[in-house]
Amino acid sequence: MKSENPLALRATPLIRGAGAFIVLAGAAFFMGDYHNDVYRKLLLWVTLALGYNFLFGVCGQVAFSHFAFYGIGAYSIVIFLFQLHLPFPLAAICGIALCIAFALAVAIPSTRLEGFYLALVTLALGQLFIVVLNEGGTVTGGTGGIANYRLPEIYGLRLRGPWYTAVIALLVVATYAVLVRLDRSWFGRACRAVRDNPEAAAAMGVDVARTKVIAFTLTSVLAGIGGMVYAFVDNTVNPPIFGIENAFLLLFMVIVGGAGRHAGAVIGAVLLFLLPFWLSPLVGHHHALVFGVLVVAAILLEPRGLIGIYDRVADRYKGSPSR
Amino acid sequence: MQDFFELAVGAAASGCVYGLIGLAYLLIIRPTGIINFAVGEWAMLAAFGGYVTLTKYEWPYPVGMAVVLGLMFVVGWATERVVVRRLVEGGAPLLAPILALLGMLVVFRESISVTFPPDPHPVPDAFGIGRLELGPIGGTYQSFFTIVTALGVFIGAWLFFERTVAGKAFEAVALNRRAAALMGIDLTRVTALSFGAGAVVAGLGGLLVAPNISAHYLMGVPLAIQGFTALVIGGVGRVAGPLLGGLLLALAEQLTVRYAPVPAGYAQGVPLVLLMVFLLLRPTGLLKAKV
Repeated sequence: MKSENPLALRATPLIRGAGAFIVLAGAAFFMGDYHNDVYRKLLLWVTLALGYNFLFGVCGQVAFSHFAFYGIGAYSIVIFLFQLHLPFPLAAICGIALCIAFALAVAIPSTRLEGFYLALVTLALGQLFIVVLNEGGTVTGGTGGIANYRLPEIYGLRLRGPWYTAVIALLVVATYAVLVRLDRSWFGRACRAVRDNPEAAAAMGVDVARTKVIAFTLTSVLAGIGGMVYAFVDNTVNPPIFGIENAFLLLFMVIVGGAGRHAGAVIGAVLLFLLPFWLSPLVGHHHALVFGVLVVAAILLEPRGLIGIYDRVADRYKGSPSR
Repeated sequence: MQDFFELAVGAAASGCVYGLIGLAYLLIIRPTGIINFAVGEWAMLAAFGGYVTLTKYEWPYPVGMAVVLGLMFVVGWATERVVVRRLVEGGAPLLAPILALLGMLVVFRESISVTFPPDPHPVPDAFGIGRLELGPIGGTYQSFFTIVTALGVFIGAWLFFERTVAGKAFEAVALNRRAAALMGIDLTRVTALSFGAGAVVAGLGGLLVAPNISAHYLMGVPLAIQGFTALVIGGVGRVAGPLLGGLLLALAEQLTVRYAPVPAGYAQGVPLVLLMVFLLLRPTGLLKAKV
């Protein structure tokens, strides 16, 4: 770190995190209802992309179940709160426990096998989840989902409007902080080693299967927590949100932004979330075609994604590449 | 019993379609190791080809079918040429072409969704609508046509791998790419041909199933999953694997719809449950590869 700015030296992670939170949450208070809604969803996509990037980019595992866990979180909190009438903290804990149980049940058998198995098993899980939601009768509300509920008072507080947006901002910042710290810890290095060369990692004493299972479970739980927060954004949950289409979109966000880099995940999520708004006057509802072309182009031309392009430009302007 | 035979013929026909999609995966996986989820979209493209040539311009069935399958070969070959070859020759990890083909899945689907209105497009039966009764076994013309055609393709594929030099070249590449290249086998050509053939086989599956479900731009992903499940159940090791897997899968689906005491919607879950169970418990499939 350069010492041009004396403040930067003393900015501890906690202060920087608090600053980011204040900026992200504060912005919500200057927006109308419509923009608040769009902004909340943008923040949720960024949260999901950060988690997925840790799984796919850092740990090298391809999974299509991220939105299924998002959905498990969302549906479980609604069902626990309003059908089983559990108190809020207990409902949240039960939802997380459910995510952990599902994640372990999928990850433990499929990481024993080499290759592409996790992707296929999670693809089936993601699709199966939608089938269960659609056929779940009164428990899941079928194809129409569940609606007509609202966030209960928590300790006498009823969060609404921009204050609820602040909760989502807190979620983004906390997710980012957790993942960055994890990435820089021994566990993050173990994940990268497992991604790059599992045999070498095993030879260095990394328990490959356990590393994969922990990374999968952790990111799935993060997705589940995101889903719990999402449940009170629209105050309705229905099956199409949690389908395989959005799981593909999440993968595309991380690839286009730059897999393995937190900043890349954020850039990819913001770009692909906002792109439909800019494109709709030009191509109507066919923005997915642009996404597909972007992903293929990214893989063929710049496998490190947009952040890779940024790195190269930054290096050129600095004169000599750092390191 | 009548009821069961009726069901069995219908199941055999859908099973043959799943088997063809599974064979399309297999043709590409064997020499390259690439799992190509876009095969379902290839089937969808061929179904729309059937709609344009057979329904819109009313060409005779064999002509329309030949033109569509010819175009599918070009599509498969072009996919390999444009998307896959650079990555394979540039030494990218195996995941890169798999993800790029996932992107192509979206590109294929959305290209059709841009070109055609979003409602189902009818595709005609090969021999018109009618029933064939063979003793106790009865079914539609299209069911029998599907079964006979698919069996022909599988026998052809088996003969190709077992009896021809080109087939042996495919096998050699499947066993060991580097050694095969050192023996003078043109890897690029084998890869291009495998994609072309995969697209033709997947397209044939799409064309055969289209009269039942109509051409629709969202038909690809379910077919891709059913075909892949067929492949996983049967095993990648043998050509007959996807056919066996497809037949078992279709039978399980039909029996669930007809006899199981669950809502009919859960039948969609059958391939998914089978896929998970086989991947987790028996990832090599039912048929062992020959050594």
